Amino acid sequence: MFLRPLAVLLVTAMASLVTAPATAHFLVVHTPKTALLRGEDLPFHLIFTHAFAGEPSMAMDKPERFYFSRRPAAGEPSEEVDLLPYLQAIDWQSEDSRVPAWRATIPRNLVRSLGDYQFVVEPAPYLEAGEDIYIQQFAKVMVNVGGVPGNWSETLGLPAEIHALNKPYANWTSGVFRGVVLSDGVPVPFTQIEVEYLNHALDVDNRRFEEQGQITAPHPSLEAIVILSNAQGEFSFALPKAGWWGFAALNVGPTKEHAGKPLSQDAILWVQVTDLPPLTGTRP
Amino acid sequence: MIRQLLGLYLLVGWGTAHAHTPLFDCFDNGDETLTCEGGFSDGASAEGVGVRLLDQQGKVLEQAKLDARGSATFKRPAGGFSVVFDAGAEHQITVLGDDIS
Repeated sequence: MFLRPLAVLLVTAMASLVTAPATAHFLVVHTPKTALLRGEDLPFHLIFTHAFAGEPSMAMDKPERFYFSRRPAAGEPSEEVDLLPYLQAIDWQSEDSRVPAWRATIPRNLVRSLGDYQFVVEPAPYLEAGEDIYIQQFAKVMVNVGGVPGNWSETLGLPAEIHALNKPYANWTSGVFRGVVLSDGVPVPFTQIEVEYLNHALDVDNRRFEEQGQITAPHPSLEAIVILSNAQGEFSFALPKAGWWGFAALNVGPTKEHAGKPLSQDAILWVQVTDLPPLTGTRP
Repeated sequence: MIRQLLGLYLLVGWGTAHAHTPLFDCFDNGDETLTCEGGFSDGASAEGVGVRLLDQQGKVLEQAKLDARGSATFKRPAGGFSVVFDAGAEHQITVLGDDIS
């Protein structure tokens, strides 16, 4: 009399867990390659989605800001270059419909100089109707040209930001990535960071993610991996597979309300991971 | 340039200068000039490093020192040429004119 209803409840709950989509929203800021020997035209796609699952993707308004920050020379302040004029609206496949997303091609003449380029997207707040909250994800991705380091370790004063302690474009598989979660420049202790693998390759010709993912996770906790920053706001994560890993520190920005609803200002940082090539020659 | 970088890396890769690899590239500005930029893998400034523009016979056509931004601009020569970044015996990189676009 007691066990059956309980069993039904458990089965129902488990079924909903199994079928529920991952809840981690990720602003994907994608360019194919971040460690370049020479400057070249850089294609970008900006898609608000669920990184591991590859869907659903959400409608994305034109970002409030899209720019890169670059330090022209050691000892000089970094300079920002506005990239909003390069944005083009596209539609991106999301389940059975298409949603607004963005693409851009940054011309070589803007990114030909040696050094680091911190690309930043500051989106408009997105109303997540299911949770009745706004989400605003400040997203960074870094590109290096020619191997000369630049401002990769500088923070940019974003409301929510991940301060990289490793170059995000220079990571071997199994290496450890480290960062600090910042709220208005102040480290955030013991805050939650979601880590997700960009599991579905971009099919840019058809403006969709490929249906087949790279990984099948055996458990939801391995799709959106949750870690905490330490008492100093620092975190570390060993990168187990080549490709793109996204770090999202949730609701760390100082503004907590937008248009009369709760606002989550999140910090996103994308890290590109490279497989160690086969060893050649005699091991020293 | 890639061949030059790899060759240079092999040269210095196991030496004491491993953490200080020179890096160099040149670009065509589209106005009959070219700009060359140099630096080092540890972020050290290349200001003052000598850069030479050579013709196909190795004759120096022009030379300059990189400025505070690690940059120098030359008039693009007609015919074949190369540009040499010279930061010392083990820190030289050559970029061929044909590779500059």
